[in-house]
Amino acid sequence: MLQTIIKKELLESVFSYRFPLFALICLLLIPLGMSVNQANYAKRVRDYSEQVRLADEAAAALKIQDVMAGTVAIKGFRRPAPLSVFTQGFESTLPRYYEFTQDGFRPGESASDDESILSVQGKVDFVFLVQMVISLIALLFASDMVSGEKESGTLRAMLANCLPRDTLLAGKIGGGYLALWIPFLLAFLLGTVVLMLAAFPLFGGDATARVLIIFLATSLFILTYFTIGIAVSTSAAKARTSLVTIFIVWVAFQLIIPKLGDMVARLVYPVRTETEVSLQKSLLVRSLEIETAKELGRQYDLIFGAAPKGAADDEKSPERKKWDPTRDDIQLRARERKAQQLAAIDETYLQERRRQMNLAVNLSLVSPSAAFARFIADVCGTGELERAKYLEAVRSHQKALDNELFSKVKRTLMMHEGGGMSMSFSAMPVDASKLPKFSIVPASLAETFKANVRSVLSLAFWLIAPFAFAYARFRKYDVR
Amino acid sequence: MSNQKPILKAEDLSKRYEDGVLALDHVNLEIRGGEAYCLLGANGAGKTTTINLFLNFIPPTTGTCYINGIDVTKNPLEAKKYVSFVSENVMLYGNFTARQNLDFFAKLGGKENLAKEAYYQVMRRVSLQEKAFEQRVKNFSKGMRQKLGISIAIIKDAPAVLLDEPTAGLDPKAAEEFLEILNELKGEGKAILMSTHDIFRAKEIGDRVGIMKEGRLVMERTREELQYEDLVKIYIDYMKSEPLTT
Repeated sequence: MLQTIIKKELLESVFSYRFPLFALICLLLIPLGMSVNQANYAKRVRDYSEQVRLADEAAAALKIQDVMAGTVAIKGFRRPAPLSVFTQGFESTLPRYYEFTQDGFRPGESASDDESILSVQGKVDFVFLVQMVISLIALLFASDMVSGEKESGTLRAMLANCLPRDTLLAGKIGGGYLALWIPFLLAFLLGTVVLMLAAFPLFGGDATARVLIIFLATSLFILTYFTIGIAVSTSAAKARTSLVTIFIVWVAFQLIIPKLGDMVARLVYPVRTETEVSLQKSLLVRSLEIETAKELGRQYDLIFGAAPKGAADDEKSPERKKWDPTRDDIQLRARERKAQQLAAIDETYLQERRRQMNLAVNLSLVSPSAAFARFIADVCGTGELERAKYLEAVRSHQKALDNELFSKVKRTLMMHEGGGMSMSFSAMPVDASKLPKFSIVPASLAETFKANVRSVLSLAFWLIAPFAFAYARFRKYDVR
Repeated sequence: MSNQKPILKAEDLSKRYEDGVLALDHVNLEIRGGEAYCLLGANGAGKTTTINLFLNFIPPTTGTCYINGIDVTKNPLEAKKYVSFVSENVMLYGNFTARQNLDFFAKLGGKENLAKEAYYQVMRRVSLQEKAFEQRVKNFSKGMRQKLGISIAIIKDAPAVLLDEPTAGLDPKAAEEFLEILNELKGEGKAILMSTHDIFRAKEIGDRVGIMKEGRLVMERTREELQYEDLVKIYIDYMKSEPLTT
């Protein structure tokens, strides 16, 4: 019986004008979107390779005198995410590189500078198409599946037979969904063929598994919207009522809830920009340096004030024996204080961001679309997880450079009470070719799932709840 | 009346809707195989409600419907195996051909794997034009749709047939053809319950005719009794009479 209903629903959908329209949209837009984004990705990879080459050359030519002069800024570039062909996510807003200096790191420009002016209308990538176009079509397909049959009376004709209502509902969902899923499957396959023809690395590392996850998650997402549509259709007595309700649901899920969540979070927990934080850190470093220089100047004057001439340069003089440990102690304490205060700024900033993000994410996850977009962006390496990994790599690289490069140079700046200033340097040799290379450890699939438990739960909820609702409504429906 | 058990039976059947309207008021009815029972009455008299209750489309407030001895409320799916239904506007899938519609509803009625020819035979039996067999039904006339509707009932081959104003809107020739088919079904031993506004056809097909008013079965006459009485006059008298007190 179930098979009969599925077949009938599938045929009915295929015979309707909506099916060829939907198939055409899928078969045109999905491969086209993938192809355009693949070309964009290839271009960004070329840019990245060239910039890394130039940065490596600059690093190889690094002289310790430049480090002593404090003019060295080492750049660490982020490689574009290959799966950004499916969703851009933060790809164009993340800094292309970070600059590492003795005073810490700061973000470089983002890839959004290269974008077309049309990007303000939203990027047409795979996830955008699924979220905005296919979800709406799934709802429209489902809109009259029950209410339309109530109106036309065919539901009465069917239920006059030995047909359990749950079988009828399951058959409607199964058949209607197949009519959506088959064109989507074909379009997805065509898209991957297009990618393979463009030599896209589809079979390297865990890329295949990730593409499969994208496909499965998208299939479930379409089913989710289709089931939501069925739930609405089951509740409405007329197809027109169902259509209007469906538009309201779509607008709420696509446009209102995700954006409202973000807006509320920004309002409740405002967060400074990364550039503002970098500036704050730079100011702190300067202020600490001046404080340290003053302290060193005062101690220097105390020790060498009454000393005979040349005592400062004589390593065996008693003043020098007293000065060296005093200076080292002041510099050590200053370094520790600097590290502590910089870490505190970073931690405060991270906490602010975490708090804002948590609220935004929790509110937006009410919408299955937001949950889907968040999950897929993380699977593609262009989401929040990638942003966190990037920052983690930047911090780790800064530490490595501090150890391997910046700590090799000791600058002693002193500000004397009389107003004079003096500076001395000491440096250890540095092998530029052995400096650590910047790299981001990509999030594993396990990490991706762990970070997206809430998104997956939201999707699961929206998959099950509308079906349960539709089932409960349909069971109690009085056929009149 | 024969001693055989009734195929369709309503026992003290009442239906009060959620808005308080009493649509059916303690109706008792028995229809045996080979018998046609016609329910006459104005709009809102309770004819369609009776049929809806037999099909378990709505639950009764009191009383029980039986099809082939099976309690419809307690075991609706089993009961529906033994009943076919034809409505005023036969509900079909416009994008399907006549045969595809017949095939779908035959499968719902438990008739799997029927050959194309079996469908064609049924459609020929109801005098549906041959060229219409493989045409989409969205352009069918009402008469053609009704013929296809009765084909669905025939192919299910259930012992009971419920018809909700099946001849409404049909031209006289189509209505006459429709009644001929019903007569054939009656001859095959089916129990037929038909609600209608058409007094003349009710008299023509019905072995018994019942008049409903405000949810009550206020009058019942057999074919024999109606040979000596004017059904039109009886009907109009009942319609003109004072409203019933509840």
